[in-house]
Amino acid sequence: MESANPFTDRLLIEPKPQTTWRGPHAFWFTAMGIGGALFLNEVLFGIEMGRVLGLSLSHLLSLVLIGIGGMVLIADLGRPLRFLQAFRNVRHSWITWGAICDFVFMTLDGLYILPTFTWVNGARPFAGLPTGPGTAVGGVFTVVAGIAAFVVIIYPGMVLAASRAIPFWNTTLIPLQFLAFAHASGLALVLLARPASVNGALLLSAVLLVLLCLLAMGAHLLAARYGREASRESLRVLLRGPLAGVFLLGTCLLGLIVPLILGIVTLNGAGPDFAASAFIIMGVLSVAGNFFSKFSVIRAARFAPLI
Amino acid sequence: MPRWGMVIDLTRCVGCYACSMACKVENGTPPGVWYSPVYEKETGTYPTVNRMFIPTLCNHCRDAPCAKACPTGALQQRGDGIVEVDSDRCCGSRACMNACPYGALHFYENGRDDFVQGSTPFGDRAYAGLTEGTVMKCTFCSHRIDQRNLTPACVQTCPTECRHFGARAAPESNVSRLIREKNGSPLRPEAETDACVFYLR
Repeated sequence: MESANPFTDRLLIEPKPQTTWRGPHAFWFTAMGIGGALFLNEVLFGIEMGRVLGLSLSHLLSLVLIGIGGMVLIADLGRPLRFLQAFRNVRHSWITWGAICDFVFMTLDGLYILPTFTWVNGARPFAGLPTGPGTAVGGVFTVVAGIAAFVVIIYPGMVLAASRAIPFWNTTLIPLQFLAFAHASGLALVLLARPASVNGALLLSAVLLVLLCLLAMGAHLLAARYGREASRESLRVLLRGPLAGVFLLGTCLLGLIVPLILGIVTLNGAGPDFAASAFIIMGVLSVAGNFFSKFSVIRAARFAPLI
Repeated sequence: MPRWGMVIDLTRCVGCYACSMACKVENGTPPGVWYSPVYEKETGTYPTVNRMFIPTLCNHCRDAPCAKACPTGALQQRGDGIVEVDSDRCCGSRACMNACPYGALHFYENGRDDFVQGSTPFGDRAYAGLTEGTVMKCTFCSHRIDQRNLTPACVQTCPTECRHFGARAAPESNVSRLIREKNGSPLRPEAETDACVFYLR
């Protein structure tokens, strides 16, 4: 609903597009989300992706994705060498909390998996560290890293949601969307990595997560439809404007509907060959759709008119 | 310490843009950066057409969303209410720019190459104080207020005296009386930033 305008009964200055954040931020959001989700999927639900050189692939990919996401963010700063200053505004800034949790997660998860590193000749140079799986310290690290991973997933959404200047972002549906997409993509990557180990429960979970993404996104768009002028303009841009291709094709069709259909067909008794191909397609499209959804949300943002 | 505020009388603004130019000269802002832009809009249909001019600037909000969004704490509010950027601390995340409802923050990438014929001595001197890759904004001409007890350049320059500057918190100050007597309102009140710039219609 529009608030009472003390100056005129019509909006005088059109909603301006947000141009500050672009593709690098979409990549950052996507990488952080998937990285955090892969970690939580393993520690909370035991969903593993396999091992590489003795290291859990889930943990390793989490580290890599969150690390790369962080590097992309730092590179996009106006003064990248000042990135350590970003830890200062603990009282108010979600970016500060995210930076802290990024660092905490990477340190603790790195120390957690390091003792399991096995060289090609079978040597385990770090096996003596008391921080690995099965140790008390390792258990504490897992809990703290898990909390940090959850914050890593949602803090980009909270950064957007905290913006009172952009009505399309200023909703709790944004971090919920980010959470849903992160887990959907994380699980889709598990399907891609280990198709032979996928059972009915895992596949059903993947399908349900895609449905959850559709639900969260649909609720967000509906809220924008009945929201302020700037929200409605954002919706118009997504559905009929310059972002329609990226959003409708990239996010909705390829990122959500195609994986959903493939998942449902596979659940209903498709053969193993079809299932293997379907999992690969689901994995790739889910990650791509996740990126396109973040890109669409960022680029569709419109500042509310001044008057 | 007074808490500064500004009142802009829209019935007196004639859209001369003197305030925008005075601000640019006083603060030496680079090309494309206007701390105090004036928006112009036509309303109505022929034959009843009107033009409205809306001078804008940083509102130095008491609940400044830019300061909350900034991860480095580079945006700080002084005791007198002026919100300033510490360019030595700013890392250029631009989170503040997306948080500000008034578009008051600007990112300085590199302004030295904007003129084909090269910079001027004025530009060299003005840009020497800027830090590339950081954010910049209106400061209510705090250097004029602090050192010479003057009003902001936009207020002093305005030929129609549509801008008024004074202590917002003092009930008998010029700005307080104008807000009270003429129903002054801030822009985008729904943003709930407790802005210190009010408009009279």
